[in-house]
Amino acid sequence: MVVCVLIPRFQLAVAVGDREELLGAPAALAPEPGRDARIGEVSLAAEAFGVRAGMPLGEALARCPALALVPPDPAGVADAWERLLTRLESIGAAVEPERPGLACFAAQGLVRLHGGTLERVLAAARAALRHPARIGAGPSRFCALAAATRARARRPQVVLGDERAARDYLAPLPVALLRGRDETAALPEALARLGIERLGELAALPRAEVADRFGAAGLLAWELAQGRDGRPRPREAPERLEEELELPEALSGVQLDRALGLLVDRLLARRERRGRTLRAVVLAATLVEGGTWREQVPFREALSDPTRMRLALTPRLAQLPAPAERLRLAAVRFGPAASDQRSLLDEAASARRARLREGVRQARAAAGPDAALRVLAVDPDSRVPERRAVLTPFE
Amino acid sequence: MSAPASDRSRAAAAPARRHRLAAPRPARVRAAERDGRPLAVDGRAVDAVRESWLVEDRWWSERPLRRRYWEVVTTCGRNVVVFHDLREGGWFRQR
Repeated sequence: MVVCVLIPRFQLAVAVGDREELLGAPAALAPEPGRDARIGEVSLAAEAFGVRAGMPLGEALARCPALALVPPDPAGVADAWERLLTRLESIGAAVEPERPGLACFAAQGLVRLHGGTLERVLAAARAALRHPARIGAGPSRFCALAAATRARARRPQVVLGDERAARDYLAPLPVALLRGRDETAALPEALARLGIERLGELAALPRAEVADRFGAAGLLAWELAQGRDGRPRPREAPERLEEELELPEALSGVQLDRALGLLVDRLLARRERRGRTLRAVVLAATLVEGGTWREQVPFREALSDPTRMRLALTPRLAQLPAPAERLRLAAVRFGPAASDQRSLLDEAASARRARLREGVRQARAAAGPDAALRVLAVDPDSRVPERRAVLTPFE
Repeated sequence: MSAPASDRSRAAAAPARRHRLAAPRPARVRAAERDGRPLAVDGRAVDAVRESWLVEDRWWSERPLRRRYWEVVTTCGRNVVVFHDLREGGWFRQR
Protein backbone atom coordinates (compact mmCIF):
# COMPACT_ATOMS: atom_id res chain seq x y z
CA MET A 1 0.00 0.00 0.00
CA VAL A 2 1.32 3.42 -0.99
CA VAL A 3 0.44 6.63 0.82
CA CYS A 4 0.41 9.94 -1.05
CA VAL A 5 0.57 13.34 0.64
CA LEU A 6 -0.65 16.22 -1.50
CA ILE A 7 -0.53 19.90 -0.59
CA PRO A 8 -2.23 21.74 -3.44
CA ARG A 9 -0.64 25.01 -4.59
CA PHE A 10 2.24 24.57 -2.21
CA GLN A 11 4.71 26.71 -4.16
CA LEU A 12 2.18 29.49 -4.61
CA ALA A 13 1.28 29.44 -0.91
CA VAL A 14 4.93 29.74 0.08
CA ALA A 15 5.60 32.54 -2.40
CA VAL A 16 2.52 34.46 -1.25
CA GLY A 17 3.71 34.34 2.37
CA ASP A 18 1.64 36.55 4.65
CA ARG A 19 -0.42 38.03 1.82
CA GLU A 20 -2.92 35.18 1.98
CA GLU A 21 -5.67 37.32 0.47
CA LEU A 22 -3.92 36.82 -2.86
CA LEU A 23 -4.91 33.14 -2.80
CA GLY A 24 -8.58 34.15 -2.88
CA ALA A 25 -8.08 36.23 -6.02
CA PRO A 26 -6.81 35.23 -9.48
CA ALA A 27 -3.08 34.80 -8.89
CA ALA A 28 -0.24 32.78 -10.38
CA LEU A 29 3.45 32.29 -9.86
CA ALA A 30 5.37 34.53 -12.26
CA PRO A 31 7.82 32.81 -14.63
CA GLU A 32 11.24 32.30 -13.11
CA PRO A 33 13.83 34.75 -14.45
CA GLY A 34 15.83 33.31 -17.30
CA ARG A 35 13.40 30.44 -17.87
CA ASP A 36 10.49 29.92 -20.27
CA ALA A 37 7.81 32.59 -19.98
CA ARG A 38 5.31 30.17 -18.48
CA ILE A 39 3.43 30.71 -15.26
CA GLY A 40 3.74 28.42 -12.26
CA GLU A 41 1.00 27.24 -9.90
CA VAL A 42 -2.27 29.17 -10.03
CA SER A 43 -4.95 29.95 -7.45
CA LEU A 44 -8.44 28.45 -7.54
CA ALA A 45 -9.91 31.77 -8.65
CA ALA A 46 -7.46 31.83 -11.58
CA GLU A 47 -8.43 28.27 -12.55
CA ALA A 48 -12.01 29.49 -12.87
CA PHE A 49 -10.78 31.68 -15.75
CA GLY A 50 -9.21 28.68 -17.47
CA VAL A 51 -5.69 29.57 -16.38
CA ARG A 52 -3.46 26.57 -15.67
CA ALA A 53 0.05 26.00 -14.38
CA GLY A 54 2.56 25.79 -17.23
CA MET A 55 0.51 28.02 -19.51
CA PRO A 56 2.38 30.69 -21.53
CA LEU A 57 2.26 34.01 -19.70
CA GLY A 58 0.64 35.84 -22.62
CA GLU A 59 -2.17 33.31 -22.89
CA ALA A 60 -2.78 33.40 -19.13
CA LEU A 61 -3.06 37.20 -19.13
CA ALA A 62 -5.34 37.09 -22.16
CA ARG A 63 -7.68 34.71 -20.33
CA CYS A 64 -7.56 36.64 -17.07
CA PRO A 65 -6.35 40.27 -17.40
CA ALA A 66 -6.67 40.77 -13.63
CA LEU A 67 -4.25 37.90 -12.93
CA ALA A 68 -1.83 38.86 -10.13
CA LEU A 69 1.69 37.56 -10.72
CA VAL A 70 3.52 36.51 -7.57
CA PRO A 71 7.36 36.48 -7.70
CA PRO A 72 8.54 32.88 -7.29
CA ASP A 73 10.36 31.93 -4.10
CA PRO A 74 12.29 28.75 -5.02
CA ALA A 75 14.59 28.96 -2.01
CA GLY A 76 11.68 29.42 0.39
CA VAL A 77 9.82 26.55 -1.25
CA ALA A 78 12.84 24.25 -0.92
CA ASP A 79 13.21 25.11 2.77
CA ALA A 80 9.52 24.69 3.59
CA TRP A 81 9.30 21.44 1.62
CA GLU A 82 12.41 20.04 3.26
CA ARG A 83 10.89 20.82 6.65
CA LEU A 84 7.70 18.90 5.81
CA LEU A 85 9.64 15.94 4.38
CA THR A 86 11.72 15.78 7.54
CA ARG A 87 8.55 15.70 9.61
CA LEU A 88 7.17 12.85 7.49
CA GLU A 89 10.44 10.96 7.87
CA SER A 90 10.20 11.43 11.63
CA ILE A 91 7.41 8.80 11.72
CA GLY A 92 9.72 6.32 9.99
CA ALA A 93 8.45 6.85 6.45
CA ALA A 94 10.89 6.35 3.56
CA VAL A 95 9.65 9.31 1.56
CA GLU A 96 9.90 9.85 -2.17
CA PRO A 97 9.47 13.54 -2.91
CA GLU A 98 8.02 13.87 -6.42
CA ARG A 99 7.79 17.66 -6.47
CA PRO A 100 7.19 20.34 -3.83
CA GLY A 101 3.73 19.64 -2.45
CA LEU A 102 3.59 15.97 -3.51
CA ALA A 103 5.30 13.06 -1.78
CA CYS A 104 4.56 9.38 -1.31
CA PHE A 105 5.84 6.53 0.80
CA ALA A 106 5.19 2.82 1.24
CA ALA A 107 3.06 2.03 4.27
CA GLN A 108 3.88 -1.67 4.72
CA GLY A 109 6.76 -1.23 7.12
CA LEU A 110 4.96 1.37 9.19
CA VAL A 111 1.72 -0.43 10.00
CA ARG A 112 3.12 -2.39 12.95
CA LEU A 113 5.07 0.59 14.11
CA HIS A 114 1.92 2.67 14.46
CA GLY A 115 -0.64 0.37 16.01
CA GLY A 116 -1.33 -2.23 13.34
CA THR A 117 -3.72 -0.38 11.02
CA LEU A 118 -3.28 1.82 7.97
CA GLU A 119 -5.58 4.45 9.48
CA ARG A 120 -3.15 4.95 12.35
CA VAL A 121 -0.27 5.38 9.92
CA LEU A 122 -2.27 8.06 8.09
CA ALA A 123 -3.14 9.72 11.39
CA ALA A 124 0.52 9.70 12.41
CA ALA A 125 1.52 11.25 9.09
CA ARG A 126 -1.10 13.96 9.46
CA ALA A 127 -0.07 14.72 13.04
CA ALA A 128 3.61 14.85 12.08
CA LEU A 129 3.01 17.21 9.16
CA ARG A 130 1.28 19.88 11.27
CA HIS A 131 0.11 21.37 7.98
CA PRO A 132 -3.17 20.94 6.08
CA ALA A 133 -2.68 18.22 3.50
CA ARG A 134 -4.73 15.80 1.46
CA ILE A 135 -3.76 12.22 2.08
CA GLY A 136 -4.65 9.24 -0.07
CA ALA A 137 -3.63 5.60 -0.03
CA GLY A 138 -3.88 2.95 -2.71
CA PRO A 139 -2.20 -0.10 -4.23
CA SER A 140 -0.07 2.02 -6.59
CA ARG A 141 1.55 5.44 -6.48
CA PHE A 142 -0.74 6.84 -9.15
CA CYS A 143 -3.82 5.41 -7.48
CA ALA A 144 -2.72 6.95 -4.16
CA LEU A 145 -2.25 10.30 -5.92
CA ALA A 146 -5.73 10.04 -7.42
CA ALA A 147 -7.13 9.22 -3.98
CA ALA A 148 -5.30 12.19 -2.47
CA THR A 149 -6.79 14.59 -5.03
CA ARG A 150 -10.27 13.39 -4.01
CA ALA A 151 -9.57 13.34 -0.27
CA ARG A 152 -10.79 16.06 2.02
CA ALA A 153 -8.47 18.09 4.17
CA ARG A 154 -9.22 16.07 7.31
CA ARG A 155 -10.47 12.82 5.83
CA PRO A 156 -8.03 10.62 3.92
CA GLN A 157 -9.23 8.51 1.01
CA VAL A 158 -8.14 4.88 0.99
CA VAL A 159 -8.40 2.44 -1.91
CA LEU A 160 -8.11 -1.08 -0.59
CA GLY A 161 -7.30 -4.07 -2.75
CA ASP A 162 -4.92 -4.94 -5.55
CA GLU A 163 -4.20 -3.81 -9.08
CA ARG A 164 -7.74 -4.60 -10.23
CA ALA A 165 -9.20 -2.46 -7.43
CA ALA A 166 -6.91 0.38 -8.45
CA ARG A 167 -8.04 0.13 -12.08
CA ASP A 168 -11.69 0.13 -11.08
CA TYR A 169 -11.14 3.13 -8.83
CA LEU A 170 -9.31 5.08 -11.52
CA ALA A 171 -11.74 4.26 -14.35
CA PRO A 172 -14.31 7.04 -13.75
CA LEU A 173 -11.66 9.69 -12.95
CA PRO A 174 -10.62 12.36 -15.50
CA VAL A 175 -7.45 11.99 -17.57
CA ALA A 176 -6.41 15.40 -16.17
CA LEU A 177 -4.94 13.41 -13.26
CA LEU A 178 -2.08 12.51 -15.59
CA ARG A 179 -0.82 16.09 -15.11
CA GLY A 180 0.39 14.92 -11.70
CA ARG A 181 3.33 13.13 -13.36
CA ASP A 182 5.97 15.02 -15.30
CA GLU A 183 6.24 12.33 -17.98
CA THR A 184 2.52 12.36 -18.78
CA ALA A 185 1.72 16.02 -18.02
CA ALA A 186 1.25 16.94 -21.69
CA LEU A 187 -1.14 14.08 -22.51
CA PRO A 188 -4.53 15.17 -21.09
CA GLU A 189 -5.12 17.87 -23.72
CA ALA A 190 -4.24 15.53 -26.58
CA LEU A 191 -6.44 12.80 -25.13
CA ALA A 192 -9.32 15.24 -24.64
CA ARG A 193 -9.09 16.26 -28.32
CA LEU A 194 -9.61 12.60 -29.20
CA GLY A 195 -12.64 12.40 -26.92
CA ILE A 196 -10.88 10.37 -24.20
CA GLU A 197 -11.83 12.04 -20.96
CA ARG A 198 -11.76 9.22 -18.40
CA LEU A 199 -8.92 6.98 -17.35
CA GLY A 200 -11.17 3.97 -17.89
CA GLU A 201 -11.50 4.89 -21.58
CA LEU A 202 -7.73 5.12 -21.84
CA ALA A 203 -7.29 1.75 -20.13
CA ALA A 204 -9.74 0.17 -22.58
CA LEU A 205 -7.64 1.19 -25.62
CA PRO A 206 -5.32 -1.41 -27.17
CA ARG A 207 -1.82 -0.98 -25.74
CA ALA A 208 -0.11 -1.05 -29.15
CA GLU A 209 -2.32 1.72 -30.54
CA VAL A 210 -1.63 3.96 -27.55
CA ALA A 211 2.09 3.33 -28.07
CA ASP A 212 1.83 4.19 -31.78
CA ARG A 213 0.03 7.45 -31.12
CA PHE A 214 1.71 8.73 -27.95
CA GLY A 215 5.00 6.89 -27.63
CA ALA A 216 6.63 6.22 -24.27
CA ALA A 217 4.52 8.80 -22.44
CA GLY A 218 1.35 7.17 -23.74
CA LEU A 219 2.51 3.73 -22.67
CA LEU A 220 3.23 4.99 -19.18
CA ALA A 221 -0.19 6.66 -19.00
CA TRP A 222 -1.82 3.40 -20.16
CA GLU A 223 0.03 1.44 -17.47
CA LEU A 224 -1.03 3.98 -14.84
CA ALA A 225 -4.64 3.73 -15.94
CA GLN A 226 -4.37 -0.06 -15.56
CA GLY A 227 -3.53 0.46 -11.90
CA ARG A 228 0.13 -0.41 -12.35
CA ASP A 229 2.96 1.82 -11.22
CA GLY A 230 6.47 1.54 -9.89
CA ARG A 231 7.30 1.38 -6.20
CA PRO A 232 8.24 4.56 -4.36
CA ARG A 233 11.94 5.32 -4.60
CA PRO A 234 12.86 6.81 -1.23
CA ARG A 235 15.35 9.62 -1.17
CA GLU A 236 18.67 9.23 0.58
CA ALA A 237 18.85 10.57 4.09
CA PRO A 238 19.63 14.24 3.53
CA GLU A 239 22.56 15.95 5.13
CA ARG A 240 22.90 19.64 4.57
CA LEU A 241 25.65 22.03 5.49
CA GLU A 242 24.69 25.60 5.00
CA GLU A 243 26.35 28.99 5.21
CA GLU A 244 24.54 32.26 4.78
CA LEU A 245 25.74 35.80 4.38
CA GLU A 246 23.57 38.84 4.84
CA LEU A 247 25.01 41.45 2.57
CA PRO A 248 25.35 44.96 3.98
CA GLU A 249 23.70 46.34 0.87
CA ALA A 250 22.30 44.88 -2.32
CA LEU A 251 25.33 43.56 -4.19
CA SER A 252 26.13 42.42 -7.68
CA GLY A 253 29.23 41.97 -9.81
CA VAL A 254 32.69 41.69 -8.30
CA GLN A 255 31.54 42.36 -4.75
CA LEU A 256 29.10 39.46 -4.99
CA ASP A 257 31.93 37.23 -6.24
CA ARG A 258 33.90 38.10 -3.11
CA ALA A 259 30.91 37.31 -0.91
CA LEU A 260 30.68 33.95 -2.67
CA GLY A 261 34.36 33.32 -1.97
CA LEU A 262 33.72 34.00 1.70
CA LEU A 263 30.83 31.51 1.75
CA VAL A 264 32.93 28.84 0.03
CA ASP A 265 35.67 29.27 2.62
CA ARG A 266 33.21 29.05 5.48
CA LEU A 267 31.51 25.98 4.07
CA LEU A 268 34.78 24.15 3.60
CA ALA A 269 35.88 25.08 7.11
CA ARG A 270 32.86 23.43 8.75
CA ARG A 271 33.77 20.56 11.06
CA GLU A 272 30.71 18.55 9.98
CA ARG A 273 32.28 18.15 6.54
CA ARG A 274 34.78 15.77 8.12
CA GLY A 275 37.23 16.14 5.26
CA ARG A 276 34.76 14.95 2.64
CA THR A 277 34.57 16.38 -0.84
CA LEU A 278 31.42 18.02 -2.21
CA ARG A 279 29.49 16.63 -5.17
CA ALA A 280 26.71 19.21 -5.38
CA VAL A 281 25.86 22.50 -3.75
CA VAL A 282 22.84 24.79 -3.82
CA LEU A 283 23.42 28.48 -4.38
CA ALA A 284 20.48 30.66 -3.34
CA ALA A 285 19.92 34.38 -3.06
CA THR A 286 17.27 36.68 -1.67
CA LEU A 287 16.72 39.38 -4.24
CA VAL A 288 16.42 43.04 -3.44
CA GLU A 289 13.29 43.30 -5.61
CA GLY A 290 11.57 40.55 -3.63
CA GLY A 291 11.48 36.83 -4.27
CA THR A 292 14.42 34.46 -4.28
CA TRP A 293 16.68 32.70 -6.74
CA ARG A 294 17.99 29.16 -6.35
CA GLU A 295 20.29 26.99 -8.43
CA GLN A 296 21.63 23.52 -7.73
CA VAL A 297 25.17 23.13 -9.03
CA PRO A 298 26.57 19.60 -9.39
CA PHE A 299 30.34 19.52 -9.81
CA ARG A 300 31.93 17.49 -12.59
CA GLU A 301 33.89 15.65 -9.93
CA ALA A 302 33.74 15.67 -6.17
CA LEU A 303 36.05 18.40 -4.91
CA SER A 304 37.06 20.39 -1.89
CA ASP A 305 39.32 22.93 -3.55
CA PRO A 306 37.97 26.44 -2.89
CA THR A 307 39.53 27.82 -6.09
CA ARG A 308 37.83 25.24 -8.29
CA MET A 309 34.56 25.67 -6.43
CA ARG A 310 34.67 29.40 -7.07
CA LEU A 311 35.43 28.76 -10.73
CA ALA A 312 32.35 26.57 -11.00
CA LEU A 313 30.05 28.81 -8.99
CA THR A 314 30.99 32.32 -10.06
CA PRO A 315 29.41 32.07 -13.56
CA ARG A 316 26.13 31.13 -11.89
CA LEU A 317 26.03 34.49 -10.14
CA ALA A 318 25.77 36.14 -13.55
CA GLN A 319 22.33 34.53 -13.89
CA LEU A 320 21.00 36.47 -10.90
CA PRO A 321 18.07 38.51 -12.18
CA ALA A 322 18.57 41.30 -9.63
CA PRO A 323 21.07 42.40 -6.98
CA ALA A 324 21.09 40.14 -3.94
CA GLU A 325 20.73 41.16 -0.32
CA ARG A 326 21.40 37.69 1.09
CA LEU A 327 23.45 34.84 -0.31
CA ARG A 328 23.34 31.23 0.81
CA LEU A 329 25.51 28.25 -0.07
CA ALA A 330 24.55 24.73 0.99
CA ALA A 331 26.29 21.43 0.39
CA VAL A 332 23.63 18.87 -0.52
CA ARG A 333 25.68 15.89 -1.72
CA PHE A 334 29.01 14.71 -0.43
CA GLY A 335 31.75 12.68 -2.02
CA PRO A 336 34.54 10.59 -0.50
CA ALA A 337 37.12 12.18 1.73
CA ALA A 338 39.67 14.24 -0.15
CA SER A 339 42.95 12.49 -0.78
CA ASP A 340 46.07 14.27 -1.89
CA GLN A 341 47.69 12.75 -4.92
CA ARG A 342 51.44 13.22 -4.82
CA SER A 343 52.75 15.25 -7.71
CA LEU A 344 55.80 14.30 -9.75
CA LEU A 345 57.36 17.74 -9.54
CA ASP A 346 57.29 20.65 -7.15
CA GLU A 347 57.45 18.42 -4.08
CA ALA A 348 58.72 21.19 -1.81
CA ALA A 349 55.78 23.50 -2.44
CA SER A 350 53.22 20.75 -1.94
CA ALA A 351 55.01 19.60 1.22
CA ARG A 352 54.86 23.15 2.57
CA ARG A 353 51.17 23.36 1.77
CA ALA A 354 50.56 20.00 3.46
CA ARG A 355 52.43 21.17 6.58
CA LEU A 356 50.45 24.38 6.59
CA ARG A 357 47.17 22.50 6.27
CA GLU A 358 48.14 20.20 9.10
CA GLY A 359 49.09 23.21 11.24
CA VAL A 360 45.74 24.83 10.53
CA ARG A 361 43.93 21.60 11.34
CA GLN A 362 45.71 21.28 14.66
CA ALA A 363 45.12 24.92 15.54
CA ARG A 364 41.41 24.50 14.82
CA ALA A 365 41.24 21.31 16.84
CA ALA A 366 42.74 23.14 19.80
CA ALA A 367 41.11 26.55 19.56
CA GLY A 368 37.99 26.16 17.40
CA PRO A 369 37.12 27.06 13.84
CA ASP A 370 38.26 30.68 14.22
CA ALA A 371 41.80 29.73 15.09
CA ALA A 372 43.16 30.28 11.57
CA LEU A 373 41.79 33.16 9.59
CA ARG A 374 42.84 35.22 6.63
CA VAL A 375 41.91 38.67 5.43
CA LEU A 376 39.46 38.74 2.54
CA ALA A 377 38.93 42.00 0.70
CA VAL A 378 35.15 42.16 0.31
CA ASP A 379 34.77 45.67 -0.99
CA PRO A 380 38.21 47.31 -0.99
CA ASP A 381 36.99 50.51 -2.61
CA SER A 382 34.19 51.15 -0.13
CA ARG A 383 34.18 54.57 1.49
CA VAL A 384 33.10 52.93 4.76
CA PRO A 385 36.23 51.34 6.27
CA GLU A 386 34.51 48.48 8.12
CA ARG A 387 33.08 47.18 4.86
CA ARG A 388 36.40 46.81 3.08
CA ALA A 389 37.64 43.55 4.54
CA VAL A 390 36.59 40.66 6.74
CA LEU A 391 38.36 37.75 8.33
CA THR A 392 37.47 34.40 6.81
CA PRO A 393 38.52 30.81 7.59
CA PHE A 394 41.95 30.02 6.21
CA GLU A 395 41.88 27.37 3.50
CA MET B 1 2.76 30.39 4.74
CA SER B 2 6.13 31.73 5.67
CA ALA B 3 9.30 30.14 4.39
CA PRO B 4 11.69 29.58 7.27
CA ALA B 5 14.78 27.45 6.99
CA SER B 6 14.20 23.77 7.53
CA ASP B 7 14.49 22.37 11.02
CA ARG B 8 17.37 20.21 10.01
CA SER B 9 19.28 22.81 8.07
CA ARG B 10 18.72 25.28 10.88
CA ALA B 11 20.18 22.81 13.32
CA ALA B 12 23.12 22.21 11.03
CA ALA B 13 23.81 25.87 10.40
CA ALA B 14 26.67 27.28 12.37
CA PRO B 15 26.16 30.48 14.31
CA ALA B 16 26.90 33.50 12.14
CA ARG B 17 30.61 34.40 12.38
CA ARG B 18 31.30 37.92 11.36
CA HIS B 19 34.82 39.23 11.76
CA ARG B 20 34.87 42.70 10.36
CA LEU B 21 38.14 44.52 10.27
CA ALA B 22 38.39 48.22 11.12
CA ALA B 23 35.17 48.22 13.11
CA PRO B 24 34.50 51.62 14.76
CA ARG B 25 35.41 51.93 18.43
CA PRO B 26 34.00 54.63 20.71
CA ALA B 27 36.37 57.53 21.34
CA ARG B 28 36.38 60.46 23.77
CA VAL B 29 36.55 63.54 21.63
CA ARG B 30 36.25 67.19 22.63
CA ALA B 31 35.17 69.21 19.62
CA ALA B 32 34.89 72.87 18.76
CA GLU B 33 31.33 74.13 18.92
CA ARG B 34 31.73 76.37 15.89
CA ASP B 35 32.72 73.87 13.20
CA GLY B 36 32.86 70.49 15.01
CA ARG B 37 36.65 70.19 14.60
CA PRO B 38 38.21 67.81 17.18
CA LEU B 39 40.27 69.60 19.83
CA ALA B 40 41.28 66.51 21.83
CA VAL B 41 41.06 62.75 21.18
CA ASP B 42 41.11 60.37 24.15
CA GLY B 43 42.70 63.04 26.32
CA ARG B 44 45.39 64.01 23.79
CA ALA B 45 45.21 67.50 22.36
CA VAL B 46 44.98 67.75 18.60
CA ASP B 47 48.01 69.39 17.03
CA ALA B 48 46.81 69.54 13.42
CA VAL B 49 43.91 68.53 11.24
CA ARG B 50 45.17 66.81 8.10
CA GLU B 51 41.91 66.16 6.32
CA SER B 52 38.15 66.11 6.79
CA TRP B 53 35.49 64.43 4.66
CA LEU B 54 31.83 63.52 4.74
CA VAL B 55 30.51 60.01 4.08
CA GLU B 56 26.84 59.54 3.27
CA ASP B 57 25.73 56.06 2.29
CA ARG B 58 22.74 53.73 2.24
CA TRP B 59 20.48 56.79 2.14
CA TRP B 60 17.98 54.62 0.26
CA SER B 61 17.68 52.10 3.09
CA GLU B 62 16.19 52.14 6.56
CA ARG B 63 19.65 52.37 8.09
CA PRO B 64 21.27 55.33 6.40
CA LEU B 65 24.80 56.26 7.32
CA ARG B 66 26.08 59.83 7.72
CA ARG B 67 29.53 60.49 9.15
CA ARG B 68 31.97 63.43 9.29
CA TYR B 69 35.49 62.04 9.29
CA TRP B 70 38.55 63.87 10.65
CA GLU B 71 42.15 62.80 10.21
CA VAL B 72 44.14 64.51 12.92
CA VAL B 73 47.62 64.46 14.44
CA THR B 74 47.75 64.55 18.23
CA THR B 75 50.41 66.27 20.26
CA CYS B 76 52.17 62.95 20.81
CA GLY B 77 52.63 62.64 17.06
CA ARG B 78 50.03 59.96 16.44
CA ASN B 79 47.93 60.01 13.31
CA VAL B 80 44.31 59.29 14.25
CA VAL B 81 41.11 59.00 12.20
CA VAL B 82 37.90 59.74 14.08
CA PHE B 83 34.39 60.38 12.92
CA HIS B 84 31.29 61.98 14.30
CA ASP B 85 28.09 60.01 13.66
CA LEU B 86 25.76 62.72 12.39
CA ARG B 87 22.64 60.57 12.75
CA GLU B 88 23.01 58.77 16.06
CA GLY B 89 25.53 61.10 17.63
CA GLY B 90 28.78 60.06 19.28
CA TRP B 91 32.41 59.96 18.27
CA PHE B 92 34.32 56.90 17.06
CA ARG B 93 37.89 56.06 16.25
CA GLN B 94 38.60 54.10 13.12
CA ARG B 95 41.66 52.98 11.22
